[in-house]
This record gives sequence, structure tokens and C-alpha cells, in this order.
Amino acid sequence: MTAPSTDPSPAVGTETPAASSASSASFVALRVLAVRGLSVRFTMRDGRHVAAVDDVTFDLAAGECLALVGESGCGKSVLASALLGLLPANARTAGSAVVDGVELLGAGERTLARTVRGRRIGLVPQSPAAHLTPVRTVGAQLAETVRALTGLRGTDARDAALTAAARAAFPAGHLDRYPHELSGGLAQRAATAIALVGDAPLLLADEPTTGLDRELVDHTADELRRHADEGHAILLITHDLAAAARTADRVAVMYAGRIVEIASAEAFFGSLGPRHPYARGLLNALPEREFAPIPGLPPELGDLPAGCAFAPRCPRADDACTVLPRLAGGVACHHPEDRHA
Amino acid sequence: MLELRDITAGYDRREPVVRGASLTVAPGEAVGLLGPSGCGKSTLAKVAALLHRPAAGQVVIDGEPVNGWRHAAPRTLRTAVGVVFQQPRLSADPRLRLRELIAEPLRAVGRSRAEAAARALETAEAVGLTGELLGRRPHEVSDGQLQRACLARALVLRPSWLVCDEMTAMLDASTTAALVNVVEDYRREHRAGLLAVGHDRVLLDRWCDRTVEWSRIAQA
Amino acid sequence: MADLAWKSQGRTRRSTRTVRVAVSTVSTVTVAAVALAVLLVPPLVQLDQQAVDLSMKLRPPSLAHPFGTDDVGRDLLLRCVYGLRVSLLVGLVAALAATVIGTVVGAAAAVSGGWTDRALMRLVDTFSSVPHLLLGIFVVAMFRPGVWPVIVSVALTHWLSTARIVRSEVLSLRSRPYIDAAISGGATRWRVAARHLLPGVLPQAGLAAVLMVPHAMWHESALSFLGLGLPTHQASLGNLVQSARGSLLAGDWWPTLFPGLFLIIPTLAVAGLAGAWRERLNPRRRSELML
Repeated sequence: MTAPSTDPSPAVGTETPAASSASSASFVALRVLAVRGLSVRFTMRDGRHVAAVDDVTFDLAAGECLALVGESGCGKSVLASALLGLLPANARTAGSAVVDGVELLGAGERTLARTVRGRRIGLVPQSPAAHLTPVRTVGAQLAETVRALTGLRGTDARDAALTAAARAAFPAGHLDRYPHELSGGLAQRAATAIALVGDAPLLLADEPTTGLDRELVDHTADELRRHADEGHAILLITHDLAAAARTADRVAVMYAGRIVEIASAEAFFGSLGPRHPYARGLLNALPEREFAPIPGLPPELGDLPAGCAFAPRCPRADDACTVLPRLAGGVACHHPEDRHA
Repeated sequence: MLELRDITAGYDRREPVVRGASLTVAPGEAVGLLGPSGCGKSTLAKVAALLHRPAAGQVVIDGEPVNGWRHAAPRTLRTAVGVVFQQPRLSADPRLRLRELIAEPLRAVGRSRAEAAARALETAEAVGLTGELLGRRPHEVSDGQLQRACLARALVLRPSWLVCDEMTAMLDASTTAALVNVVEDYRREHRAGLLAVGHDRVLLDRWCDRTVEWSRIAQA
Repeated sequence: MADLAWKSQGRTRRSTRTVRVAVSTVSTVTVAAVALAVLLVPPLVQLDQQAVDLSMKLRPPSLAHPFGTDDVGRDLLLRCVYGLRVSLLVGLVAALAATVIGTVVGAAAAVSGGWTDRALMRLVDTFSSVPHLLLGIFVVAMFRPGVWPVIVSVALTHWLSTARIVRSEVLSLRSRPYIDAAISGGATRWRVAARHLLPGVLPQAGLAAVLMVPHAMWHESALSFLGLGLPTHQASLGNLVQSARGSLLAGDWWPTLFPGLFLIIPTLAVAGLAGAWRERLNPRRRSELML
């Protein structure tokens, strides 16, 4: 496997301190998140190493939504945890992930708490109802977040809380309600409002639609899209391809800890379709398409085959696939689908 | 036939969450029940699996009205309806290895250890689980692999009916399609009836012979 | 991948982890030392703990008698080890009995529900409302002093918390979907209890039992100190403190200090060990690899 080759560009974001607010006038979209050769591995009790994320590289600009999709266990939630500094104690990271001028990997708990969480990365959680404290009103929780992140007090804090609620389209009249008195959609907006308080340039949405009704999925997806259009960079981590299609500008497909394809959503979900056989298979598994599963199971991260990890399940695999394909031209495959775009 | 007649059900003395729901599943038929979350369709699924006593109404299996629920239901009726729930993490005893999890119903109805192990292995293979995976405990496998094991556990006694309550809501597209294929193969082979409860219209339309709206079978 | 610079990103601070490891190591060593002492000293050391030497009475700690001697010249170190042996035995047996009673009552209440549950839990409440020591005194007062009345007294007053813990644990486990799945799979009530509920409850009950051992030892000592526990000729930690009360007033500190330490140190060690165990029971820490 290769060491991260690209330069980690430490200057990202430092040149653009106002990245979150400068979405419109600039020609070049401002880079909010730069991930270079990010790898995460776990040391198991017997001393083995398991590579859960391997050599992942991508950029994310202000106003852009990148959907990270893949089967359960492909490493996408480990990647999210790595960005938030929430990995368990037996995890080690390598490479670099810079958000708005701050290196996330290897950063201390104090740095993460004071400069990253809430301030540079806002988290839109998987289950908003579980994310909110049941014993306090939404308004009280919002105000607490405002005090913690901005240091504002009294009326200023209340104004800031109201602004955040308004930006998440959470009705001000419902602020004195408890989480269990909210519908699923409103709970999602309440959690999003809290994520928006710190004016973080990057929103990380970790499986925000899992287990929701189709209507609520569409609603949540549209809300995320709106926040992207308002200048936030959004990293949407999901296995729900329909939600990804509705929200994302670009799609990155993860398989066995590596990005195997990264493409514009238009091409990926449109008539051109994905180029990697795994991505094609994933899309074809949808009930509105062929509804045909990819044969076999995802490989064990602790026991990956040499070369392309998808080869054992791939209809196109041949001898060339015993060599690990590099991500080139947006696809990591020796036999990608031809596309004349 | 698996018939739900005019079922009203709820919890304790609170307002019932299901009112006057009626639904029939014929042998070999796949019925999709479509409803928004929180409408009470999961409760109805538990009634159909004889796991929740309705406040009023009748469940009739092959012409025979059911009188007992949970442990009080005759074992042959209980095991005639297999059930799979939405969240694999909560549906699997965290202490059991996957092979024990799948063999558990066989052991519970008194099959020998050897027979249970052999049948469990066969069923595990049918849902795509093999080898070393079967020796792991739930926290050592992914959601998709665990839900495969839960489906295998529901099929291992060869039930005549299967109730799938949001079986694929937590899963990715490929695993969803794979599990639906397993259920469909089983149904064809054993002429089993299916009640698939869910909120995804596209999925249920593709999967089932007919899809009914919650609002059509139950009172608001 | 050897050429990558791997960085630690654990959430747990190293200092917290070091302290935790140190506490559990010290606790383990202490508990092991206590166990070895009470198991090996009496059969291996050919000294009579009751050997009286009036010429040596109330000597402060010295090389010959590291803990000093009592008011009739008996070696206090030996007396303390024998005392700990008796106290520990009473504590272990009583804690085991209390745990069995508590588990049975708690599980029965949770599984049967309804009136049985209410009746059993009111019984627990009633017992809890009386101070433990008073209840214990009441029980021992009915018998002649001896080891068994003390054990019965401790067991009858200490099962209450275990019953509560087991009941709530069973109630929470019983509502999990995997219990539904087991019932649907044909499991009898008995099989659900034995295969799914009990194994889920036992770690909690075991933890409560371990924590109860020092508790029971203190209870025994309190009874003995009040003269209601073990007969005075039997060296238990409570008896040792009780008989040394007089010399404490005269300024002789060692006959009370050392038995007291023998009570306090094992208590702290068991608490430390139980803490480490609880940490390991936490299922989130058990899964090392997040998937």
C-alpha cells in the first residue's frame, strides 16, 4: 500500500478565514475540508491490525454536498468518527484531514472540544430523538449550546438561539417543547438547529435518514440541500442512495475502507451511471431498478484479499485485479465501465 | 389462511394504537402493509406473530381462532409464524454466537444438538452466512450480517407464515435485495405466506403480490 | 503500511487509564494477599493464636510482634489473621446466601408481575424501612451466639438491594425484541428465563455479591462489637476491636488500629476490583472494532 503522496496543503482554510460566509462572490469554490491519505486502523486484542479506512483522499468545498455511500461495515462511519475525534482507544490514524485550517488527526481532546466540534464541524445526528436530552426543552438545549459555543449571555444568547432555530426552519413557537412532544421531522430540525449554532463551515450528517419514512427522508434531504445552498459544506454519510441522489453534488463510493469511485451526482445517478462495477451493482440493487443483490458478502476488513477487494464478487475480475487499483480519473478499477462524456 | 379480524390493540390502559384492523394473508401470498412510522403497524405485526394480545378482535390461523398469546399460545401455532424485526442489534441475544442464535429455535422445540447444528448450518448458508462468521457474537458483525442471521433464525423452523416488520429499514440496497431474495426463495419452495410491514412503497410494490395502505385496513 | 506515521487518537486520557490500571492492579494484589494469608497461615504456621503470655501483655509493635500484643500478651498479627479468616468466611457465606435470595425474589417478582410482583416488592420496601443493624440484632437475639446466627442475620438483611437490581434488570431485558423472537421460536417460559434472562442478569448479581462481601464483614463486626455476634473467645475482627476498647482509653493504639485496618483495606480492595469488573461488563467497551 502507498503512503499519502499528495501534499497535505496545510494552508487550506487559513487563507480563507471567512469560508463559511463567503459562498457567493468567489469564482473558485472555497475548500473547507481537505482529506489526504486518511487511514484508520484498529489494534485488536491479539495484536492484529484491522484497516477500517485506507488511504482516503477527497476535498469538499463550501456550498457543496458530498455523499459518502457504501454497505454497512465499509468504513464510512469510522471515517466520520475519525473526523470528529470520536474513535475508540485502540484506533490509530494516519494521513491528514484539515478543516478550515485545523488539522483533525492526532489533535488533542482540548483542541477538538474548543475549536472543532460545533465550531468547525456541526454534527447532524443519526437519531435526533436520542441526541436530544429528554428532560429539557429544545429552547433550553439550544440556549445551552449557544452559551457554550459563543459565550453570549442573556438576550443576546436568546437572539442567537432564535436565529439558529429560524435557519433550521424550526418554528419558534415550539422551542418550549420537550423532544418527545416533537414529530420526527421537527426533532430532526431541532438537532440541526443545534448543529448550526456554532456557524460551522462543515456539516457532517451521519446516516440522518436511517429508519425514517420516505416523506421524512425527502424532507431531511431537502433541508440538507438548502444548507448547502446557503454556503455550508456538507459531508453526507449514508447507505440510502435515494437520499444521496436528492442531496449530493458529488458521490464517493466506499468499499472495504477505500474510495472506489468519486463522481458527480449527475453522472452517477443519471443516464451515464457509475463506472466501478461495485457502484453499478449497488445502484442496480435498488427496488426501482433491477433489485438484484451483489453476490457474496463484503470482505472482512481484517482479512482483505490481495489486490482489488471487490474482485471476488466482481463479474469483470481477471488476473489484472490481483494488483490494487489506484484511484485515477475518479475510479479505482482495472476494468471500469467506458463512458464517453 | 392467516386472518386478522377487526383487531384493536394498545399498551396498558392507554389509548389503543390499532383500531379495527383487518387483513388476510393466503398461503403463498406476499402482502405488503404500507404505513408511516408510529401508525401502529409494528403492533399489528406483533399481534399477527402472536406476540401481543389484542384488546379486541380475533386472529384466525387456518380456520382456527387463536386464544393464547406469547407463552400461552400453543407452540405449534407460535412457531408457524416466523418473525423478523427492524433492528438486528436488539433482536439478537448479545451472548449467543451466530450459529447458536440460528439453532436456538430448533433447540427450544427439542431437536438434538447435532440435528439443530446441521439444520442451522443449512439455513445459514441459505441467507449467505458461512464459515468463521457463524462463530462470532452479534457485536463482532455488521448490521447486515446480523439481520441475515435473524432472518435465518425466523426460517429455521420452516414456518408457514413470515412477518417482516421493517426488516430492511436499517440496511443498504444490496443487502436489502439479498434478504428479499432469500424470503422469496423460501416462499416459493414452501408456499409460505408473507406479511411485510414497511414504509417504502417502491420496495413493497416490487417485493409483494399486493400492497395495502394502513389507512385502508385500520380506523384512524 | 509500515511507512505511515500512525497517530493515537484515543478519547481516554492516558493519565486516567494509568490510574485505572494501577487501582485494579493494587486491588488484585491485595485481594490475592488476603486470600493467601487466611488460607495458608493457619495450616502452615505452627503458632497458637490463643497462646497467653502475661509477661508480654500490651507491648507496642516490635520485631517479634509486628502488630504488638493484647492485654493478655497474645500476638496481634496472628489474632488479626485468624480474625480476618472468620470475618471473611462469615462475609462470603452470608453474601452468597443474600445473593441467592435476592436473585430468586427479584426474578420471581419480575417474571410473574401483577399481584405477586407488588406483594414481593412491598415486602422488600418493608424490610428496607427498618434499619439493617436493628433487624440484624433482632435476628441474632433469637439464637445463641455463634457463626450461623450471624450469617442468617446478615443474609436476611442484605438481599433487598439485590432483589431490586435483579428485578429491574429482568424487566428491562424482558422487553427486548430478542425475547419476542425467542418466544416466537417456540421457547418455553423456563427456557427464556434460563437461556436469555438469567445469563443477562448474572453479571450484575455477581457484581452485587462481590460488593456485598465487605458489607457483610462490617455487619458481622458491628454485631460482634456490640457483643451480639460471635462468642468472645472466637477471634473475629469485631471481637478484637471490642476487647481492645479499654486499652484504647489507656492510650494503647495498636490493639484497635490493626484489626480496623484489616477491615478497611480488604473493603477498599474489593471495591476497586468490582469497579474494574464493572468497566469490563460495559458492552460498549467490549466491542473493540466499530463496524
